[in-house]
Amino acid sequence: MLILTRRPGERVVIGEDILVTVMGVSGHTVRLGIDAPAGVSIYREEIWMAVQEENRAAAAADPAELPSGPPQAASEQDGETSA
Amino acid sequence: MPVKFQSLRFGAVEAPEEDVLDFPFGLVGLGGNRYAILEHGGGFYWLHSVEDPALALPIVRPAVYFPDFALEISPTDRERVGFTEQDVADLFVTVRAAPDPLETTANLRAPIVIHEGKGYQVLNDHEPAPLRAPLFELAEQPREQPVPSADAA
Repeated sequence: MLILTRRPGERVVIGEDILVTVMGVSGHTVRLGIDAPAGVSIYREEIWMAVQEENRAAAAADPAELPSGPPQAASEQDGETSA
Repeated sequence: MPVKFQSLRFGAVEAPEEDVLDFPFGLVGLGGNRYAILEHGGGFYWLHSVEDPALALPIVRPAVYFPDFALEISPTDRERVGFTEQDVADLFVTVRAAPDPLETTANLRAPIVIHEGKGYQVLNDHEPAPLRAPLFELAEQPREQPVPSADAA
């Protein structure tokens, strides 16, 4: 891991087109500004990990685990029933 | 021309071309560039990778199960995908299925949005938007009516 020391207002350039600016430091909190091209995903790590975990769990689904329909759908049934 | 692909769950699948979408950024942690939306029945669909026979996620339209659901695409994702919630043509949430339907949940925090024929998973900044919102409740949950108690007076 590359470790750099930066002061507020200073920047780090990553590749050709990603710019990370230290906006400010207050106590244990660092505010970062990130300039990146459209299309680059930027997430707080914990939310990214949480969404990844949900996606993986969803992708493990067995079709038999899905109910054939919402329980309240009796009045809305359009003749489509799955076994 | 229908799109043909293999599914570990469903065998040989043919999907109409209009139901096969490019996902320019894939799904978080799963990738995939092309997914078909297959109908399961009862309001459920499968977001099924056209490239990976094993990769498929159950999805539902949130409005069916969560009348209060609202979408507010996070600022960084607005910049990434280049559109706002006003431009979303269709909207799904992924479902984490479980043997017990009462433990089946939907992820309202990272919905799948469709825009100009392409799919994107975005972060929803609206509060609340739980990662695991229960999809079902007991239909007739015996609920104790809050009876005004004479003792309380």
